[in-house]
Amino acid sequence: MTLFHFFNCAILTFGPHAVYYSATPLSEYDTLGTSVKAALVYLGTALVKLVCLATFLKVSENDSFDPYQELLHALIGFIDVAGLYFALTQLTHRNISQNHKFQAVGLGWAFADSVLHRLAPLWVGSRGLEFTWDYILQGLEANANLVFSISLAALGSLMWLRKNKPKTLIPIIYACAGIVATMPSITSYLRRELGWHFPKVVGFELFTSLMMAFISLQLFSACQRPSS
Amino acid sequence: MSSKNPRERQMLESIYSMIALVFILVTCVDLCDAATVVDVYRLIQYDISGVPFGSRFATLNHHAGSLHFAPGADLSRTVLVIPVRELNITFVKEYISQRKPLGGLLFLLPQMFNFGNREAATEGKYQIHEKELMKTVLAELERLLIHANIPYPVYFAFEDDDIDAVLADVKRSDVSGQPATATTGGYKLVVSAPEPKKIVSPSITNIQGWLPGLKADGDPNQLPTIAIVASYDTFGTAPALSVGSDSNGSGVVALLELARLFSLLYSNPKTRGRYNLLFGLTSGGPYNYNGTHKWLQSFDQRQRESIDYAICLNSIGSWDNELWIHVSKPPENAFIKQIFEGFSTVAEELGFEVGLKHKKINISNPRVAWEHEQFSKLRVTAATLSELSAAPELLESTGGLSDSRHFINETAIVRSIKLVAESIARHIYGHQGKNIQIFVDNTSLAVNSPYIRSWLDLLSKTPRVAPFLSKNDPFVTALKKALLTADYCELEDHTREVNVHYEVLDGMFTLYDSTKAKLNIYQVASVTFDLLLLLVLGSYLIILFTFLVITTRGLDDLISLFRRPPSRKNVISAMEEFAGYY
Repeated sequence: MTLFHFFNCAILTFGPHAVYYSATPLSEYDTLGTSVKAALVYLGTALVKLVCLATFLKVSENDSFDPYQELLHALIGFIDVAGLYFALTQLTHRNISQNHKFQAVGLGWAFADSVLHRLAPLWVGSRGLEFTWDYILQGLEANANLVFSISLAALGSLMWLRKNKPKTLIPIIYACAGIVATMPSITSYLRRELGWHFPKVVGFELFTSLMMAFISLQLFSACQRPSS
Repeated sequence: MSSKNPRERQMLESIYSMIALVFILVTCVDLCDAATVVDVYRLIQYDISGVPFGSRFATLNHHAGSLHFAPGADLSRTVLVIPVRELNITFVKEYISQRKPLGGLLFLLPQMFNFGNREAATEGKYQIHEKELMKTVLAELERLLIHANIPYPVYFAFEDDDIDAVLADVKRSDVSGQPATATTGGYKLVVSAPEPKKIVSPSITNIQGWLPGLKADGDPNQLPTIAIVASYDTFGTAPALSVGSDSNGSGVVALLELARLFSLLYSNPKTRGRYNLLFGLTSGGPYNYNGTHKWLQSFDQRQRESIDYAICLNSIGSWDNELWIHVSKPPENAFIKQIFEGFSTVAEELGFEVGLKHKKINISNPRVAWEHEQFSKLRVTAATLSELSAAPELLESTGGLSDSRHFINETAIVRSIKLVAESIARHIYGHQGKNIQIFVDNTSLAVNSPYIRSWLDLLSKTPRVAPFLSKNDPFVTALKKALLTADYCELEDHTREVNVHYEVLDGMFTLYDSTKAKLNIYQVASVTFDLLLLLVLGSYLIILFTFLVITTRGLDDLISLFRRPPSRKNVISAMEEFAGYY
């Protein structure tokens, strides 16, 4: 029954993306093209990141947390943000509202991330006879990642696409965007330095993703108020 | 702001549902470890003249079960994991003799018998009587398994932490009453081994060493020969574990030491006796001494007639006070009397007893219980020196699982060597009846204990079932080199020869391969777990869907998804009514 387990983990990992697309007005306005373009931009970003990592990062012998390496890792992580910027601002989208644009871009981004990072391990690993919790946890992580991507896209659209923002909120927006962008570094720090196990890390990710989503929702609606 | 509160509530709801999901999953199945891989050794599979014995299968793919299963449970798809320490021999006997269906058997041996693991093998965790008890239990188990025809795979493994943890888990679930089947999870034992095939033309290798005696000038007659023979191969329940320290490792070690001592004596022409010495390490012992028979047939008539007598060594490693000499010629025979008296005098001097046992040979019976019987069938006087007082049955005392290094007494081997050496030396040099000791301690001709110990250690680590020993096996080469001992100076006219004869084992015994394998232990989740997970995930996605629809499109949209579209008539009449206002 291990193909069954693969199927279960697959719907946990990829199901929410499909559900998000169909449940929200995104499906009504047919924003699939935007999502696909965002996914392609993610692919390009991932390749650039890979090249940079291979060039600049040393392979460490032991699994310890090297601050310098991690800093470099985080800087390269900002290429992600650049990619998102490109996807949000530079691509030509059909005439869809701001609201839906960031959601579509975030969705496409998260879907590409899940497929690239989680499909191969899932296919190879979860069809074996031995049962581990890893793949279910990976699926939960994919969910958290979806929420993170959408929040980051929301904050990004606030930063770059909205011209009139209340002055007081601008630093908060940038701070939140910074936190979400450095999430991968934070989780690797937790895993290596503090020795947290995978379930704990995934729980932390889920919790922070919901917090970030809530905060970015508040910020978004706060910025929306003056123009409405 | 009123639209915020339901949003907040929905968010909290989703958090709760996620936490509930995690709890449900955790309570179903315990958090598990990765798969374990264990070395396992298969029960022997052989045919005697076409009649099958032993375990006939090698592949295993079933759930693990312990002895605490519910009575009446169906075990045809279960592998029973039984530690030998808790073995109930009547239970196993019942299962095998009544041919009850079983998926497989896995016996766990204490680490004490693991010759491959040095630290575990030498720890003195067990009392002497516990060791003896284990030995008798194992011996009985072996006897049962060897003579049974078992239609499922039987494997042996050594206890270690991983497998002990798995067994404890399985016992716990068995005791709580859940049968270990495909729907309730548990452990799956998988051995993927190829189909066992017959070993075609199994080779047996006989090694002989020849120490020529001193021929007087002008004497045309051939010198008489004394032969010392021991068979070195074993046969046991698990061929990959049959090291046979006592049967017949002790005999091999004694023979090598005797060869060394006599070649020391014979290196100097002044001390060379007027007898040739022939040392034979034969194979095919458990199979009615087939190898010895073939080896003797390779001699020509004259050589055979020149053999004065032959001493066969069989199991001389764990006796206390009494050894036995087994003969097939009647004890009244003058020559036998002379030989026996020589031995018993020396034994008396060394402080123990030697008894004489006579067993007539029946030429029509293919069963050959002692090695000397093969000599007697070709009219060569021979006797077997052994600690066993009765002739062993077919495939008994051939070096099985219970025959391990722990049960060997080195001083017993040393005393046996002294016995044989002195007796033969007195016969060669004509010192019968005189109290002259040649191989005295603390001289250059003393019996070398470290030599014995190192050979015994090597033998206790080498499984030696003949069909699995290839012609170029390094162990056979080592035996050959040992017979060519080189710890003395060589002289030109001193020709030592060591010959190796390759034979093929006779067709009565057929052995099958596939003796070692790797066992994979997987912890598997049950079907109900997968179904439950599917249910939970389905409800999670549905909840997510409704949440998103409600928050982004409003509750009305959600309800409208389920309601049938209003019928055309109503719509048209509503529109007309609307138009009627204008």
